Amino acid sequence: MLEINYYLILSALLFSIGVLGVLVRRNAIIIFMSIELMLNAINISLVSFSSYLGEISGQIFVFMVLTVAAAEAAVGLAIIISLYRNKSTVNIDEINILKW
Amino acid sequence: MEWKLELILFVLLSVMAVFSAIMMVTRRSPINSAIFLIINFFASAGIYLLLQAQFIAVIQVLVYMGAIMVLVIFVIMLLNLQDESKLSEQFSYKKLTSLLLSVLLFCLLGFSVFFGFSGKFTSISGEAEKLGTAESLGKELVLAYSVPFEIAGLLLLAAVVGAVVLAKKSFD
Amino acid sequence: MLEGYIPIFIIIFISAAFAFLNINLSSLLGPNRPNKEKLSTYESGMEPIGTAHDRFSIKYYMVAVSFIVFDIEVVFLYPWAVSFLNFPKPEMIYSFVIGLIFIVVLAVGLIYEYKKGVLKWD
Repeated sequence: MLEINYYLILSALLFSIGVLGVLVRRNAIIIFMSIELMLNAINISLVSFSSYLGEISGQIFVFMVLTVAAAEAAVGLAIIISLYRNKSTVNIDEINILKW
Repeated sequence: MEWKLELILFVLLSVMAVFSAIMMVTRRSPINSAIFLIINFFASAGIYLLLQAQFIAVIQVLVYMGAIMVLVIFVIMLLNLQDESKLSEQFSYKKLTSLLLSVLLFCLLGFSVFFGFSGKFTSISGEAEKLGTAESLGKELVLAYSVPFEIAGLLLLAAVVGAVVLAKKSFD
Repeated sequence: MLEGYIPIFIIIFISAAFAFLNINLSSLLGPNRPNKEKLSTYESGMEPIGTAHDRFSIKYYMVAVSFIVFDIEVVFLYPWAVSFLNFPKPEMIYSFVIGLIFIVVLAVGLIYEYKKGVLKWD
C-alpha cells in the first residue's frame, strides 16, 4: 500500500499551484478557478486522512467544502459579472476603487 | 499486484492532475484554463476512488465538473472575453517573486508532511471501504453533524439570494 | 477492492476512444478538397454578420445558479435518503425532521427566485 505522504504531497503541490495562479494571473475568472483548485487540493488531503485513519469526519468536511465552493461560485461569479458591467474589465489591476 | 496497481494508477492520475493544474495557470485564454481545470477535477475523482471514497468521487464529477465548471464556462461566454486575451500579462519581477513564494510554500508543506507523517500511516484503514458509501455518510451527516447540515442549507439559501440580488439589474 | 474498478476504467477508456476516433476518422478517410465556397458558413445562403462568439443573456446565468444550488441539495439529500430506512424509530423521526427543515430552507430560496421573476421566460 502507498503511504499517506504520497497523497499529502500531491495535495500540497496542487495547493501551491493554486496559490501561484492567484498571485500571478490578473484575470479575475482565472483567479477564481485557482481558488477552486486550492479547495480541491484541501479536499484531497481531507479524504486521504479520512481513509487512512478510518474516520468519516473528513468526508463530511468535504461536503461542507463543496457547499462553500458552490456558494462561492454562485456569488463570486455574480460579483465578477456586475464588476464587468460597471467597469467593462476583469483585470484586477484596474479594479482598485477600494485601494487606499 | 494490488500494491503495483495502486502505485501505477496513483502516478498516472497525479501526473494528469499536476500537468493540467500547471496548464490551467499558464494558459492565456480563460476557456482553455476552464477545460484544463475540468481535466484536473477528473483526475482528482480518480484519486478519491483510490482512497476508497466512492461517494465523494461521484460527487466530484457531479458537482465540480457538472455544475461549477458549467457556471464558469457560462460566465466566460457571457462576458465574451475573447478580445481581452492580452490582459497585460507580461513577465515582471512581481511574477518572479510570486513564483518563488509558491515554491517556498510547497517546500514548507512538503517538509512538514515528510517529517511529520513518514512511516506513521502506511496503509488505508480496513474500514475505509465501508466508510465511503452513501449510507454511512448519511448516517454520520444526519445524526452527528445535523447542525452543520442545516447551516449548509442556510448557506445555499444565502447564495441564491446573493446571486439574484447581484445579477438582478440586467433583468430590468 | 481496486480490481472492482477496472471495468469502469475500461468503459471510460472505450467511450473516450470511440468519441475521439469517430470525430477524427471521417476527416482521415474522406476526400478533402476545400475551396472558398465550401468553407463559407452557409454555402448558398446569406453572408454571416459578426462572429459566433456572441454574448449570452444573463437569464442563462440565473438558471445555472439555480441548478448549482439544487444540485448541492440533491447531493445532501441522497445520503440522507439512503440511510433513512436503517435507523431505529426515534432516530428515524429525528432525521426526517432534520431533512424536512433542510428542504424547507431551500424551498424558501426557490420561492424567492419565483417572486423575483428569475424563472420567467418571455
